[in-house]
Amino acid sequence: MTRSSRFLRFPGRLLLTLAGLFFLAGCGKKKEVVVERDNTAEVKAYYAANPQFFRFATPADLPKDLVWENGAELPEIGSPAAKKGGTVYTFLQDYPRTLRHLGPDSNGGFRPWILDDVIMQWAWRHPNKTDVGPKGFHFFSGLASEWAIDKERKTVWVRIERNARWSDGVPITSDDMLFAFFFWRSKYVQAPWYNNYYTTNYAGITRYDSHTFSITLPEDRPDMAARVLELYPQPAHFYKELGDDYVERYQWRVVPTPGAYTILPEDIDKGRSITLTRVKDWWAKDKKNWRYRFNPDKIRFAIIRDTPKTFEAFKKGEIDFFGLSLAEYWYDKLPDSDPLVQSGRVQKNKFYNDFPRPTFGLWMNTSRPLLDNREVRVGIQYATNWQLVIDKFARGDWQRMQTGSDGYGEFTHPTLRSRPFSVEKALASFAKAGFTTRGPDGVLVNAKGERLSFQLTTGYEALKDIPTIMREEALKAGVEFRIEVLDSTTAFKKVQEKQHDISFTAFSVSAEMYPRYWEDSHSANAYDNAFLPDGTVNPERKLKTQTNNLTAMASYALDQKIIAYDRSSSAEEMKKLAFEMEEMLYEEAAFSPGQVIPFMRVGNWRWIGFPEDYHVKLGKSFTEYMLFWVDEDKKKETLDARRTGTTFPPGIRIYDQYKRQD
Amino acid sequence: MALNPLTVKKLRRFRSIRRGYVSFLVLAGLIMVSLFGELFINSRALAVSYEGKLYLPIYGANLPGTAFGLGYSYETNYRDLQQKFQAEGAKNWVLMPPFRYNAYENTPYQNVFKPAPPSFMGGPEGHLLGTDTTGRDIFARLFFGFRVAIFFALAFMTLTYVIGISVGCMMGYFGGVFDLIVQRLIEVWSNIPFLYMVIIIFSVIPSTLSIPARVAILLVVMVLFSWTSMTYYMRTATYREKARDYTSAAIVIGAGTGRIIFNHILPNTISTVVTFMPFTIVSAITAVTALDFLGFGLPPPTPSMGELLKQGTQTLTTAPWIVSSAFAALVFILTLVTFIGEAVREAFDPKKFTTYE
Repeated sequence: MTRSSRFLRFPGRLLLTLAGLFFLAGCGKKKEVVVERDNTAEVKAYYAANPQFFRFATPADLPKDLVWENGAELPEIGSPAAKKGGTVYTFLQDYPRTLRHLGPDSNGGFRPWILDDVIMQWAWRHPNKTDVGPKGFHFFSGLASEWAIDKERKTVWVRIERNARWSDGVPITSDDMLFAFFFWRSKYVQAPWYNNYYTTNYAGITRYDSHTFSITLPEDRPDMAARVLELYPQPAHFYKELGDDYVERYQWRVVPTPGAYTILPEDIDKGRSITLTRVKDWWAKDKKNWRYRFNPDKIRFAIIRDTPKTFEAFKKGEIDFFGLSLAEYWYDKLPDSDPLVQSGRVQKNKFYNDFPRPTFGLWMNTSRPLLDNREVRVGIQYATNWQLVIDKFARGDWQRMQTGSDGYGEFTHPTLRSRPFSVEKALASFAKAGFTTRGPDGVLVNAKGERLSFQLTTGYEALKDIPTIMREEALKAGVEFRIEVLDSTTAFKKVQEKQHDISFTAFSVSAEMYPRYWEDSHSANAYDNAFLPDGTVNPERKLKTQTNNLTAMASYALDQKIIAYDRSSSAEEMKKLAFEMEEMLYEEAAFSPGQVIPFMRVGNWRWIGFPEDYHVKLGKSFTEYMLFWVDEDKKKETLDARRTGTTFPPGIRIYDQYKRQD
Repeated sequence: MALNPLTVKKLRRFRSIRRGYVSFLVLAGLIMVSLFGELFINSRALAVSYEGKLYLPIYGANLPGTAFGLGYSYETNYRDLQQKFQAEGAKNWVLMPPFRYNAYENTPYQNVFKPAPPSFMGGPEGHLLGTDTTGRDIFARLFFGFRVAIFFALAFMTLTYVIGISVGCMMGYFGGVFDLIVQRLIEVWSNIPFLYMVIIIFSVIPSTLSIPARVAILLVVMVLFSWTSMTYYMRTATYREKARDYTSAAIVIGAGTGRIIFNHILPNTISTVVTFMPFTIVSAITAVTALDFLGFGLPPPTPSMGELLKQGTQTLTTAPWIVSSAFAALVFILTLVTFIGEAVREAFDPKKFTTYE
């Protein structure tokens, strides 16, 4: 699900919580006594119990033939013209539900600001040089001063920067990486995905000294280096109290970060605002590729739940930038002719990017009645008029998504095309499923009198017109969509609980080398014990909730391919498998690919600076690489100009250097 | 039915208050028209004559395009059909309603789905008040939104009054401990915030329910939290009437409790009830509009004035006609009801007609 999530527009949620508290208090539930604890012994015992995985060596054990590299030859990102200091004002649509990095509710809209975009990994994939070299992607140094990749030994060695520190001043050492595996694999964190991923995808970690370690992988995957270098350590000293109450105990604690931004306790004003503060004397402030980024001293998030209100706040200059990706905003609400734009106070930028695309589309829950019939799903695919949405709603700016894994370059199926809108083909498919006659309202019914009617749930208030448009078109093909627009948090909960018929939603995907299939298509994420050992359907299987397999896809043949794919070390073999799997998924027809937005558009006040070429190829949001800065002098000048009526040259720019040429 | 001469007198007086009476006629007319709204505002044709056969598609099942020799099996687009028949110049014809767009269809403006200005402001023909953000006809949405709201309000009023009057009269009639207990219960009950209850209830009811079921639940919830205010007035009025000689006479004759309350006391207290009615309607329309505005009312894409108001606030600068149409319509309806209410209050004013004391 994309990170732009919304909360309630109304204090109803708060009241519910209050009512719940009241109820619990009435039941006499006692507050647990907080016990101080130290898990050092527990962690040590865990290491000792897994000697195959956690290995301890000496620097003398380091292989002598390693080729160390540090990515210093790559071009630097960020602009030397960036100004340090100042405060950037922006917004969140709902208050973060937790400050934890892991566990329930931690995957919300605020996560990029405390984890993804501000953390430091051992090394970072270069966002402009994106080709796949013999060793995989190109990396520049982050927490690692250098690293060595050995594909034959399936191992990556890492040396940690000597001066790397957590934001609380504690040095970052190899032990924090060892602890990270304990943490991710721990049952305490209530994150089954992490538990599984860090158990099955890594073969071992060896500590050589406090600043040198190596990680070995079970297979030599094409992106082996990324799997190690894109890891990040966990502050072992901070998680000393890790236990069964992790979720409550760490709910509002600020996790120490190796990155540039942390949150001061006084800046957490629950329900109203939250502010990131640049770490004082950040250890990486002069490091190449990091020195011209993370420029503002503070980034302040006000909570504005309503998009039109946010836009008004932006126009008043209360917030510094606003996404204009919706056609309505780019063309109608802030047209080029708008006085704000013409006076040069607000600049408009359209920036093409190129990276794996968020999977916007209709996710059909195959565990629901009628939707368990493939013909019905195929019919729905033909009955959804995405092209009309793209042409008439998005004014032709968007493109149709062809598969569930567009944007992976060589790993994206080259010829597969999504099913176009076709009433005839939809009716033919529905007829095969037994839906041949139209009821008095034009909706198809079968011999049993069941209507072809489904709930279409979405959490995108801003995109709620899309289901409305599709509903009218789908009626032509005899299928009814009952639209349900929820706030994003509720919608996300609903689909994670697999309570939906059809969901219009999207997962944001990270810029990986090849698409993932296990998460959203493997039967293990659809049912508990989906199949009996001989491959037949387990009649007693139960739907599995809290996973990303929103279609409840469970195919024994597909499972085998996913496992083979996830074990393959050959890029060529993986491509072949990926194409086969895409074709199988196409046949299953449970995901109707929607739109691709090949650009991002942003309006910003002129005191916000961006590098000359604006941004990076992999940038999926204009804040992701933190290249912007705030120019306090220009801010004063602009605000004065607003009062006096002085104007500046308009700034409307289109950066199409990364536009995909079709 | 023979009316009480007093009532006849009151009705005559109501008729003589021109503003209220005209408002009443206009509103009654609007409600009548809205009952047959499909005949006036519809994308379906009133009548189609094809190959010598007459079709009346408005109220029947929807007719596929194939019925008129068109190449598709979904519902006929009668506007296109009309143009086709006219171009062919054959004896086939289509009679369209005066307003040719329904409340659900998206019509592009300048080839994209965006609000089109009203036709009198240079917008496309056929959209009297323009279109909303996805190109749906505002006039149609307002009209059918009004129909939903007014019938919702009438049902709401009936239910609250039945409950409120019964409980209030019983409190006043029985008095004593019964009165004391019920009063306390009502005080507790009426302190539960209604809006939050709606939100809570709507967050737990399954979304698979059909639209009529959801509307019914909304109605029930609103009634449950609104009947209490009526009881106070009925309680005091009943207390007063109970002390009068005619009530004692009825008791002596041996009339039952129900008979005394509903046949003897109620007609003498009805003026209180009647004066409140229009204002109850106003508050019900406002409440359902407000709930739609907040997103807790009728599920999309049901036409609703509240939903239009919400769209309007989001497009204040780019499509001012959305908010102004919805606002004007709402003000118009509420003004009508208020005028009626004032006239009723004046006509039924007990001070003018009460003969005792």
